[in-house]
Amino acid sequence: MEEEAKTVPFYRCLIPQDSLTYQQRAKIAVAFTDVHCGISAAPRRFVQVAFLETNGSGEVADTHGSGVLRYDTRFFIAGGNRAGRSPETKTRILDGLISRFAEIAAVPREQVSGQITEAPASWTMEAGKILPEPGEEPPEWYE
Amino acid sequence: MTSGLRPGAVYHKCVAGRSAVGSASLARLPIVTAFDIFVQEGCVPDSRRPAIMAALDAACRRFLGAETDPLEARWTVVRKGYGFRGGEPSTTSLVRARIPDGCSPETRAALLRTLGEAWREVTGTGEEEVVVSARDWSWAG
Repeated sequence: MEEEAKTVPFYRCLIPQDSLTYQQRAKIAVAFTDVHCGISAAPRRFVQVAFLETNGSGEVADTHGSGVLRYDTRFFIAGGNRAGRSPETKTRILDGLISRFAEIAAVPREQVSGQITEAPASWTMEAGKILPEPGEEPPEWYE
Repeated sequence: MTSGLRPGAVYHKCVAGRSAVGSASLARLPIVTAFDIFVQEGCVPDSRRPAIMAALDAACRRFLGAETDPLEARWTVVRKGYGFRGGEPSTTSLVRARIPDGCSPETRAALLRTLGEAWREVTGTGEEEVVVSARDWSWAG
């Protein structure tokens, strides 16, 4: 498991209107939390998931970078995380999210795509505290 | 800039202190500070938006200078049953700013704290219920 500070992973799921039931959305949110926390050391309560119904435009504003994220699949996962992970770790997280999403939504994996963008931890404040950069976490941060 | 969202994930664009600015005039203004704000349906009344915008604007002016005017915000209301935190229904708001490049760590930290305090004061929500960030305008992600 990769050591990680408490971060604010934010996953937006762009979905067609009425394509998922509440039960599916709730299961996906739990699954995303499992995937993220299974690879990182982030506390579960920090994982945010929002489902946004789209008008089919195929793009969504990037919340961790600039411009828009474009996609051409029916479902899209727009992830925002702390910068500093290896490309392999990012790929593992995204693969896990896409797999679980497709499984719970009962759609072919080809209908789901995603992208994770990142921003430095110290550019974010959660619960009144500025997040530390990787490797600069005080011991109490993991408590 | 459009987000591709339909109502339901309600979308609004506001400009602090400018009640009647249309998109045509917005395009001509030098917007250098912008906010993406996500709130959970029912957690932050729409009627508080002008006060929120004024508070965010004041914080930006204090730490970033008067050249940050006008301040733009795009609001997304996450429908009930569509937002989760830790796998449970969420009441958390996310306030994500883009600010001019070149902000020192100290200034950025002070800005984040002030934005968070302003948000909590205007909305009446708790410290755990808001996440605030401020990234450089040129940061590609």
